[in-house]
Amino acid sequence: MLRHIFRRLLLAIPTLLVVVTIIFLVVRVIPGNPAVAALGEYASQDAVNKLEQQLGLDKPKWVQYVDYMNALAHGDLGKSMINRRPAIDQIKFVLPYTLELTAAAILIALILGIPTGVLTAVKRNTWVDYTGRVFSLAGLSAPSFYVGLLFIYFFAARLGWFPAIGAGDFHHLGKNLQTLVLPAITLGLIETAYIARMTRSVMLGVLSEDYVRTARAKGLAERIVLSQHAIRAALIPIVSLVGIFTISLIGNSVLVETVFARPGLGKLMVGAANQRDYTMLQAVMVVYALIIIVINIVVDIIYTVVDPRVRYD
Amino acid sequence: MQERKIEELVREASRKGLSRRQLIQRAAVLGISAPALTVAMTKMAPAALAQDRPTLRIAQNAADLASLDPHYAAGTQDRALVDMVFNGLVRFKPGDSTQIEPDLATAVPEPSDQGGKQVWTFTLRDNVQVHKTGKSDAYTLTADDVVFSFKKAADENTSAYAGDYQGITVAKVDDKTVTFTLDNPLSPTLFLPKVANYSGGYVVPQKAYEALGADAFKTAPAGTGPFKFDSYTPQNSVALVANDDYFRGQPKLAGIDYRYIEESSSRESALLSGDIDVINGLPEGQWVDKMNKSDGVKADVFGVGEAIWLEINVTAKPFDDAKVRQAIALALSRENHVALFGAPVGETIYSVVPAQLMPGGLTEEQAKKAGVIYEQNIDQAKQLLAEAGVKDGFEIKLVTSQMDDYRRNYEVLQDELGKIGLKIDLQVVQHAAMHELIRKGTNPLVIYVAFRPTADTYLTQFFTTEGGNTNFAHYSAIDDAVAKARTTTDADEQAKLWQDANTQILKDYAAYPFLIKNLVYARSNKVDYGHELKSIVQLYPGIDETTSISS
Repeated sequence: MLRHIFRRLLLAIPTLLVVVTIIFLVVRVIPGNPAVAALGEYASQDAVNKLEQQLGLDKPKWVQYVDYMNALAHGDLGKSMINRRPAIDQIKFVLPYTLELTAAAILIALILGIPTGVLTAVKRNTWVDYTGRVFSLAGLSAPSFYVGLLFIYFFAARLGWFPAIGAGDFHHLGKNLQTLVLPAITLGLIETAYIARMTRSVMLGVLSEDYVRTARAKGLAERIVLSQHAIRAALIPIVSLVGIFTISLIGNSVLVETVFARPGLGKLMVGAANQRDYTMLQAVMVVYALIIIVINIVVDIIYTVVDPRVRYD
Repeated sequence: MQERKIEELVREASRKGLSRRQLIQRAAVLGISAPALTVAMTKMAPAALAQDRPTLRIAQNAADLASLDPHYAAGTQDRALVDMVFNGLVRFKPGDSTQIEPDLATAVPEPSDQGGKQVWTFTLRDNVQVHKTGKSDAYTLTADDVVFSFKKAADENTSAYAGDYQGITVAKVDDKTVTFTLDNPLSPTLFLPKVANYSGGYVVPQKAYEALGADAFKTAPAGTGPFKFDSYTPQNSVALVANDDYFRGQPKLAGIDYRYIEESSSRESALLSGDIDVINGLPEGQWVDKMNKSDGVKADVFGVGEAIWLEINVTAKPFDDAKVRQAIALALSRENHVALFGAPVGETIYSVVPAQLMPGGLTEEQAKKAGVIYEQNIDQAKQLLAEAGVKDGFEIKLVTSQMDDYRRNYEVLQDELGKIGLKIDLQVVQHAAMHELIRKGTNPLVIYVAFRPTADTYLTQFFTTEGGNTNFAHYSAIDDAVAKARTTTDADEQAKLWQDANTQILKDYAAYPFLIKNLVYARSNKVDYGHELKSIVQLYPGIDETTSISS
């Protein structure tokens, strides 16, 4: 296993290099200038030229690339071209908020999605199944942006149960959880629908397997058949899906972060793209790539736990 | 611990006007039972709570700050914060930017002539305290700070507004006196905004700036204003605390919780739920009506508005033919563009320099008298195109920003010009990309949205050779007139020269002014800004030591 992890980490290096190079080129090809974004449209061309010089944007692209890769090799992600704060500091600040939101959303999705999927599969073609499917379809169809706004309207503006906006301080657990509830449910609902539908579909396959029929024929209670034989087998493909969902949630969280005015990695990336903050954008993409690599390794490890047949050695 | 939580909760409930039921529900979410809440509330001294100054929570339409160094601050979200932290030598009267009054200086001076040069002498107030920072102590502001600040503002390496301070020499006379010696004389209309609380005019204290360093100052500044910088939470908020040593007196607020909320619906909900006291609103008349009908909130519409106009490249074919430009002017209708925003947010203008906001603009009457109103006349426009040899019309490619102010105006333009056979292939690009592309000359027709503090800035930047790549019209006919107006010290004569320049632009069909888009903010009824809201150059309602929130 350790060898496998080490091999995956080694393979991550060329992946990172490719990602960084593509991002470096793309952000410089699209129109827009960080110096203009930083100074505003009022600034004179002289002021823009001066700032470009200070930011090193007047150098040839390949020189900028070499400088950047050299800094990256030394673990330096650079400073924001807009507010001149170290990129790593800003990422370190927002990352816990994104991870917190994603983790809470995944937890909600698992807690609601798996039982719903199992129940709708077991009660196939009954009103339970129909209701579950309708709700999961609704969850898939509702844009998180809109759901978030509805939640804010009802649970914050009308009922006053939760704050409409913001993210709590990690030192105040109560307040932090209070601000987390609505965004996490908003983000988690879509994944709940995915997981419920996926679980149902996998469960239907598993329930028709010979070993399940054998278990029933042996006279095992339905509860035991489901918990010991069916659900455990159905979890294997779901584990890998949860990994993919986690990656997509980290990326998709930007909409929820925007609606609830929470700090987050997605919002940082979109802000950097809008302002043509090259260094910040590159830094965020490096971190995204690292997160994806780590999640994939974690999924590989969990796979060996839920499916003893899987061995990487 | 529990009592502190309850105290915070009760304060919040009191400010938001939550019902007892809502209070109990919120307490339950925090793990506080109703009986525990009641017991703790009876123990709390009501007077102690009431004596506390409230913190004003304001939400801006932005993702994050860019720079709080006033000499770089350009976006509304940065200008507003800078205004609460810094002062100028003079200031635009709170709520009414048409008037100038003393700020750090004891009086608004008159210029004198010394050796053939115009000199402005400012005497500083006593005991103006510079905010304490993590790296520097509080100290009394002196002329050294003022000289340092204006030298910084004039330096391209440390200011985005350096161009505004060329030809001005600032010098210390003594600890309380500074002089500004001008290579070319300026009228008060043009000079005083340079030393007022706007852009390069904000005084940056030397010791605080040097102790913090240029980069850190951009996100953790120190000035002399009614509020001191306290903390910055990226993408989320900036916290300011009251400067109780402020020279105009102790602020009525304990501080400012300044939030970045891009999504307008979220801002609106936060205001209605009582989580926020003041929000940046939507520039739409309907939205203003809706907010005014909501309980406990009020929408304010005030200046300064951003002017929106069309600029035509007089050198690009076929627009180099005056008949084509005239045809365009006759195809347009101000009302169509004003309708995008609705009254009272949108107001028609009759010259690019808005007469409502500053001297030098043309009123409707003056524009009518000069024959430069150009009412919509499609038939005549088509006839002019035929005379110019483009009877069947033609197609042009234009780029617009995704931002509503630009995109929607371009779409109306597309519709208007379509009626005379001029087809616009409109490409929507990201805002930063549009600014770069139009400066490279991609658009022969440019719609621009901007506020500038004086007629000179509007005219110089957008209609003279000196304007460089923002002279989208590639226009040079008023170069001399604008230069002459700049050095004219008689205010009336100067305004007349600017009006003549505006008339000339319109006679040459180099531009077509549409409207000014006023500022829209909404607030809790409990918020009192402490001044009227007429026109504010810092593009927010103006928060100072007089701003208060009633309980």
